[in-house]
Parts: sequence; structure tokens; C-alpha cells
Amino acid sequence: MKSFDTKWQQCMAQARRTAPRDQGAPFGFPARVVARAVVRQPQSLEGVWQRLALRLLAGALGALLLAAAIEIPHLRDARPLEPGVADTVAQLVWAL
Amino acid sequence: MATLEFDSGQCLERVRQHDPDAAVALVEALYPLVIRIVRSHCPERSDEEDLAQEIFLKLFSRLDQYEARAGIPLEHWVSRLAVRTCFDALRAKGRRPAVRMSDLSEEQRAWLEFMIAEESAPPDSAAGSARELVEKLLSQLPPEDRLVISLLDLEEKSVKEIAELTGWSPSLVKVRAFRARRKLRKLAEVFKRANRYEEF
Repeated sequence: MKSFDTKWQQCMAQARRTAPRDQGAPFGFPARVVARAVVRQPQSLEGVWQRLALRLLAGALGALLLAAAIEIPHLRDARPLEPGVADTVAQLVWAL
Repeated sequence: MATLEFDSGQCLERVRQHDPDAAVALVEALYPLVIRIVRSHCPERSDEEDLAQEIFLKLFSRLDQYEARAGIPLEHWVSRLAVRTCFDALRAKGRRPAVRMSDLSEEQRAWLEFMIAEESAPPDSAAGSARELVEKLLSQLPPEDRLVISLLDLEEKSVKEIAELTGWSPSLVKVRAFRARRKLRKLAEVFKRANRYEEF
């Protein structure tokens, strides 16, 4: 076993002498990796909440505008409240 | 361990602010370190670029987990990530098909003969043949054994460094190295016996 270990280490020492291959990044590799990383970027919880809040805000604004659009044409037809109340009071007083 | 020539702290800060130029610079700076680890653990050339890409994608997705602290430089964190990704790839791939004696070149056979024979001088052959034989023998080992021998004997890492890279305890590293070397010896003997049969 010891003999094998010693010889194995000699073989490994020879193997380590192998000239290293080119270690530079291949052309286009960094840009490709970065592009893929952007696509795979997981959404943070904060980002998800932000998007959800914006959608809710947009929905609420839409509902407000719709309600206003329905209500505005009827504003001219609405009778003032005061005479009605005055009449009611007068009627009550006369009734007493 | 390769020392980065660029300002990694500043570059990381820009990457975190989604600066694509900084991200490209980071990949270019770390590529030699990553590809060296990939080549020593997964020598199949067809896979190396895919594996390097996987490592960088993990790096970007986990960048928030890295904090530059004294004693943990970026290179160490990336090395750990690369080693563990290579280990996962080895496990996913499983053992490679058995290598036969007829697959070995004359020079590789000479190295094998040298390792098994009682008395013999090391062959006077190119370093490449020793490297190829080592890779062929290691490819027959389970991923854990292969990883520990690559780190210990090929990359000449200490037990402590291997423990940090793999997350194993130092005693587990020693035990695995011992068992892996025993398996290698048995493997070499099997090759040798097969060679005798082939000669007949």
C-alpha cells in the first residue's frame, strides 16, 4: 500500500506538470452569462409587493374615475338639501 | 489561489446595483479561477463551459449572501461555490462507463505498470499521459472519492482547506482520502489483471 501511495504521488506530480490550457474566458462568454443571469434573476419579496401595490393603486384609481364618471351627470339633477329639510321642519312644526 | 487584480469590492457594489458592465468584468476576472476548478474536477471538455456558466449563474443569484469579511475573500467564496457545483454535477452524472485496458495508450500503460509493479522506475513520458491516466482512474471512483483526491493530490490543498471547500469535517476528509486511495489501488490492480488476460 505504501509503495502504491508513493508511486501514485510520483504519477500525480508528473500530472501536475501538465501545461495549463488557456484560461481566458471564451469570446462572448461573459456577456452571455450576464444576459442569462438577468433573465433568471429571481424576484425579491420587496419587488413582488411593490408590483402588487402599484397594481392595486392603479385599480383603485380606475374605480374612482369610473364612480366619478357615473356620478357627475347626475350632479345637476340633484336638488338642494336645505329646502327639503326646511319643508320637513315646517311640516313637523305645523303638525304639532 | 489566484489574486484578483481588479477592485472586487467596488465591482461587487456595482453588480448589486445592476450594472451590466461590472457583471461582465466580474465574470472575466473570475473565469480563470472557475475554469481551473471545473477542469480539475470535471475534465470532460464538452461540459466545462456549461458548468462554468452554471457556477456564474449561481454566483449572481446568491451574491446577496456574500459579505466581504476579513478572512473570506471573494475568491474563497467562489471556489467553494465552484467545488460544490462540480460535486453536484459529478453526482448527477454518476460513474462513467468502465475504462478498459485497451482504451489506454502505451504511455498510460507504462504509468500503470509503474504503480503496480514492485520495483520499477517511473516512465520517461510526457506529463500529459500521466494526467490522462489519473483522470481515467479518477473517473471510475464515486464522486466523493474523486473530489477528495483531486483536491488533495492534484490541487495540493490541505485537509483544512478541503474541509472548508466541501463542508466536510477534517476527519471525514482524511477517511475519504484513505478509502479513495485504497480503491485506486484496487482499480489499478484490476486494470493490471485485465491487461494480462488481454495479452493472452
